[in-house]
Amino acid sequence: MMASIPMEYGLLLAGTLFALGLIGVLVRRNIVFILMSLEIMLNATGLAFVTAGARWAQADGQVMYLFILSMAAAEVAVGLALVLKLRSQFKTLDADAASRMHG
Amino acid sequence: MIAIAAVSVALMLVIAFHRGARVVLVCALIGIALAFAMLPVAASRAPRQITPLLILDQYALFYLGLLFIASFAVALLAQGYLGKLGGQLEEFYLMLLLATAGGAALVMSAHFASFFLGLEILSVSLYVLIAYPRRSARGVEAGIKYLILAAASAAFLLFGMALIYAELGTMEFGRMASGMAGRDVRWELLLTGQAMILVGVGFKLAVAPFHVWAPDVYEGAPAPVTAFIATVSKGAIFALLVRYFANLGDEVFQQFFPEIAAIAIASMFVGNLLAIAQINVKRILAYSSIAHMGYLLVAFLAGGSLGATAVAFYLVAYFVTNLVAFGVVTVLSSRREADELEDYRGLFWRRPWLATTFLAALLSLGGIPLTAGFMGKFYILMAGVRSALWFLAIILSVNTMISFYYYLRVAFMMFRDAPEGEAAPVAAPSLSFVGGAALAVLTLLLVWIGVYPGPLVQTIRSMVAGLR
Repeated sequence: MMASIPMEYGLLLAGTLFALGLIGVLVRRNIVFILMSLEIMLNATGLAFVTAGARWAQADGQVMYLFILSMAAAEVAVGLALVLKLRSQFKTLDADAASRMHG
Repeated sequence: MIAIAAVSVALMLVIAFHRGARVVLVCALIGIALAFAMLPVAASRAPRQITPLLILDQYALFYLGLLFIASFAVALLAQGYLGKLGGQLEEFYLMLLLATAGGAALVMSAHFASFFLGLEILSVSLYVLIAYPRRSARGVEAGIKYLILAAASAAFLLFGMALIYAELGTMEFGRMASGMAGRDVRWELLLTGQAMILVGVGFKLAVAPFHVWAPDVYEGAPAPVTAFIATVSKGAIFALLVRYFANLGDEVFQQFFPEIAAIAIASMFVGNLLAIAQINVKRILAYSSIAHMGYLLVAFLAGGSLGATAVAFYLVAYFVTNLVAFGVVTVLSSRREADELEDYRGLFWRRPWLATTFLAALLSLGGIPLTAGFMGKFYILMAGVRSALWFLAIILSVNTMISFYYYLRVAFMMFRDAPEGEAAPVAAPSLSFVGGAALAVLTLLLVWIGVYPGPLVQTIRSMVAGLR
């Protein structure tokens, strides 16, 4: 059997990716990049699930990853549709432009 | 659940063959009614576990009924509203049904996978619903805001689940407590996971400090959709939260007591104080719903069967009241959303019945006796006092006082003289027959629960007894 990587490393990597994605969501102003950062966050959680599943030698983690994958695809589909509408209405991809409501 | 999923598939086929809003609406209503009619059948076999993912017990059945009634009402209210909007309307009902199916999965879920899937079915349909009016810039803006925040919160939720799974090796709610007791587990990992789940759920419930999206989304979304977000989406998640913590047991609950209490207090104050400054009725209702989630958290913290009873009762009252309030906003909206406070000036003299209905809803939100809201608050306070949460109970009372101010401000606006010289700001809103009937029934329900809560309390008691 191969020497396995400890679970902590996997979780640490997933956590780092998650933080990077979160920073991207908060810092980026271009809506397409925000969506990409969201994808990074979701994939980080997928990695965490697979790592956790590997620890218990169960398939559940990978099943969850498939769920996450399909959900992320659905979300991006709707997200990109909204991006198109945003583009045609505000003539920009800047997320700050879409802030007409305040209070 | 299966019924509603089947109906949404059938609906897709119907739309493919025959585009007609009326046909689709009728199909959707029949579908929801059918699902509702299935409940007694299911009740005779409850409680039962449907695969490890879902559990169908009295508790789930009660909330299923509540969700179905609410989405039925939303569909009725949306009918008149959408007619004025123009464009292709059929998919609206489809999305509404799918979102309801997601909510139904949430209240039945007993596993992280179904928790996550239900939540996502609900939110992805909501993104579409929020941005549904194609020409409205506010709708797109609200949709994008909701999408980004909801996706981020889903990621938080998932990461929390992954951490807990990594530590406990199970994703079933029922087995977690034993998993925690059995071995010496690393609490830091577990608590980080729980905290991340709380953040994710907090976003969905729009409790402070995760509430920033709520006013914008409430304002930008079409009024019936706002009603849906306020009731079905939040109610389903709250029901899930109660079940989740009931399964986890006291130890975890105690760990998070201070945090949840802080969230509850912050929500109450943020919601009520910020609502005072608003001039947009939908934003006022948004902030008030943030405050209401705070009240609900007080009942949640009280715990025990009394706490669960209070939560269920308050949710029923909150559902009915919000449906009435947003229903009136829906009915008044024509080409434009009727959500400025000025739109309501002198409403009582123009549309006395509608104004009376809205008044009832406002009083119920504030918690005046003889309305559903009062009984709900009463039960929460009772649960709080019974569990000796004096501090929270006092803050709740103080906040109720604050909330009277802005509810009554809207109410006074309706009794002012209509502005002179110009035509009524909202061009004679057309009250569709079904929408009007739905509003009337809901208002009667609102008063009936307030005056005579006995039967409902009995139902809820027997339901809570089944919850582990």
